[in-house]
Amino acid sequence: MTENQSTPWVQVRALSKQYGGAQALASVDLDIHRGEVHGLVGANGAGKSTLIRCLAGVTRPDSGEILLDGRPIELDSPTDAERAGFAFIHQELNLVPHFSAIQNILLGIKKPTTLGIVRWRRAETVAREAAARIQADFPLEQRVDELSVGNRWQVMIARALVQNATMIAMDEPTASLSDSESRALFRIVQELASSGVSILYVSHRLDEVLDLSDRITVFRDGRATDRAVRGDLDKRGLIRAIVGRDVKPSSRTTGASIVRETPVFEARGLRSLPMVRDVSFQVFPGEVLGFGGLVGAGRSEVARLAFGAARLEAGSFELVGAPFRPRSVAHAVEQGVALIPEERRSEALILEKSVTFNASLAALRQLRALARLPFISNRKARNRTLEVIRSLSIKTSSPSLEVGRLSGGNQQKTVIARWLLPGIRVIFFDEPSRGVDVGAREEIHAAIRDLADRGVGTIVISSDVEELAMLCDRVIVMREGEVMGELIGDAVTEADIVELSYAPVHELEQELR
Amino acid sequence: MTSTAVSSRPSGDSPEPVAPANRRSPGHLALVILSRYGTLIGLALMLIVFTLRAPTVFPTLTNFTNILAQGSLTAIIAAGLTYALVVGEFDLSIGYAASFAGLLVVGFMAIQGMPIWLAIALMLVIGAGLGAVNGILVTKVRINAVIATLGVGTILIGAAFAYSPFPIVTNIPPEFSLLSLGRVIGVPNSIPIMVIVLAILWVILNKTDLGQKMQAVGGNMEAARLSGIRVDRIKIFAFVVAGVCAALTGIMLSSLLGSGTSSAANGYLLNAFAAVFLGSATLRDGEFHIVGTLVGVLIIVVGFNGLSIFGAPSWAQQVFSGGILILAVGLSTLSRRILKAS
Repeated sequence: MTENQSTPWVQVRALSKQYGGAQALASVDLDIHRGEVHGLVGANGAGKSTLIRCLAGVTRPDSGEILLDGRPIELDSPTDAERAGFAFIHQELNLVPHFSAIQNILLGIKKPTTLGIVRWRRAETVAREAAARIQADFPLEQRVDELSVGNRWQVMIARALVQNATMIAMDEPTASLSDSESRALFRIVQELASSGVSILYVSHRLDEVLDLSDRITVFRDGRATDRAVRGDLDKRGLIRAIVGRDVKPSSRTTGASIVRETPVFEARGLRSLPMVRDVSFQVFPGEVLGFGGLVGAGRSEVARLAFGAARLEAGSFELVGAPFRPRSVAHAVEQGVALIPEERRSEALILEKSVTFNASLAALRQLRALARLPFISNRKARNRTLEVIRSLSIKTSSPSLEVGRLSGGNQQKTVIARWLLPGIRVIFFDEPSRGVDVGAREEIHAAIRDLADRGVGTIVISSDVEELAMLCDRVIVMREGEVMGELIGDAVTEADIVELSYAPVHELEQELR
Repeated sequence: MTSTAVSSRPSGDSPEPVAPANRRSPGHLALVILSRYGTLIGLALMLIVFTLRAPTVFPTLTNFTNILAQGSLTAIIAAGLTYALVVGEFDLSIGYAASFAGLLVVGFMAIQGMPIWLAIALMLVIGAGLGAVNGILVTKVRINAVIATLGVGTILIGAAFAYSPFPIVTNIPPEFSLLSLGRVIGVPNSIPIMVIVLAILWVILNKTDLGQKMQAVGGNMEAARLSGIRVDRIKIFAFVVAGVCAALTGIMLSSLLGSGTSSAANGYLLNAFAAVFLGSATLRDGEFHIVGTLVGVLIIVVGFNGLSIFGAPSWAQQVFSGGILILAVGLSTLSRRILKAS
């Protein structure tokens, strides 16, 4: 399947893309041949998604080009991508739930018509042929919301075939499939490839990628750093390639006085299906606790549970020795629990409002002119803002500047400033330095360390293993809603975090048996 | 393709220059000025043109007092609506609620024989209750605000008819008309009432923690919720204010007309919306605020005043009302787009 007699079907040349200060793609080259399964792997934020978005015509690269069969093409919109024969299947399948499988397969396709009337019978034949090509064995008249997830994937693939796609990109295809459904999908992928369709296979499940792919490209920090063909690599080698070799364990910070006796915060047996199955942990005063794992492992959901932003099905919390059951976010905040969410712009900031407004949002009561009356003192608000601007070194021309005009790092510091309050006892940081430049990242880490030193329970959720290794005194690694392991002190290394992150749950179970 | 196992590729590409800061063209600057000050310029132009064309009738103290007295009812109901829009919701029930309140307050006095103060106080409480119902439907039952308030408003039309299918004109205490028509230092009462209501609403919105929370909820509801703000309560409060303001407008209209009619205040809905959206394109980029709303009201009532001075046919009022609403929403969206682009 990997003869290279002709030019590659799709060629990506020196593609670059920058978001804010962060280089999401740095001069990436990639060849995808006809009829090959091409695996893409890399940590979260390594650049895979940005590459896919560029191919899909959703994101415009800053520079570089994409060639189809040797000729450069412009991908300015999803329509362009479709015309080029590119199809994209994401985890959130793009289906109309109450339409039948046939209707969904034909969605967005120009259907055969006579005098403007759709000839459904003709159209149906086309859909059935596509379904037959992948041996879909479920009734196509069924509504897709009644189909299994595996069958829905088949509907999406059939749609791609009806669109005459010559390259299909699949993002985490097996994330929500059962074992037998996964096997059915692998068979389809292999058959499609042997019929000449190229498959771009993006997955964190390295065993699958190793099994299926004719070639593998590894992304790290926006670059395509490593390439391998089938048989060159085993899982350990792949993990090493994902982490990178230049691991610098020297720059670790550690807590000055950690006393692991009475936890400031404790969670026992948390469950909130499907994302959180069974999670228990303790946070001790003085330490920074990290949560490692892949996106979708359930870490953010654990934080949202503790913050009263998601419903707990089972389990309990203890806050400074007393039982704590958050009824709502407002209640959790009153009890001294804070969350700095992952999506800074959509979940934390009011972009068109000032730095002062955003930094003061949780401190309004302290900013009253008189404690008993609801009036805000502008002077107090301004003084507090000036103080946090100084202590967190937020770079802004004025406290009244719109927060949307700040850089990502300074926006994040503004969110942190919101929670620098006397009553706060536990803070969850969800991806605290995503989209933040290196300098700001260090300052954010210093702020987190400072909070820990002052006895605030600090929990850092990060998909950036380097960040966890640098910052955390202890790291808990989660996978598919469960705790996979815990690393303490000098055992906190990037390689170990990654290894635990990729440990398949069922493999561990087999080992236990 | 020749390949070695995991060949690490040297990454010799230089980092790209950071995107340059956005450039401001003169055209862009003109748009910004137009979007922030366009409404004020429009108001000024109207005043100048009307003064030049009708120098004896338009720029007189009596006419200006008249304009303000007319505008005060619109201003009160529009200020209430501003609160609903600040928290990111709609209230289509306010016009009907005002009519309902205008009919019932008269009925309370004429039929139930209540004293004036009690009838007014009770009606304001009912207005608050209506707002609370709207707020609960929107936040707790999670019905879209347009649908919920349209439904409540329509029910109110029916309720008003059920209460009295005919206008109530007799047996009204004559002192009731003093509420709108009585004078303090030479100006009709409705003007100082409007000034007091708007001042209170301005202070709450801009100077209290409640107002900060309202602005946060409207600016980014999820961010507000994750900052520990009880979003539902804040929204219900905004609907209650809208309800009270609508009731007050209805009460004052009945006082002005000297009667209670089940549809008297329906037209205020459209004008209130036009005023609030005009206001959101005034001084700030697409943000709803009390001072803006007042400017919007002035544009509308000065416009109406001009139409009647120049003897425009009555259909012209409808055309003006509808046209200004579309213009207002257009301007407001435009200024928000400009804000985003810059």
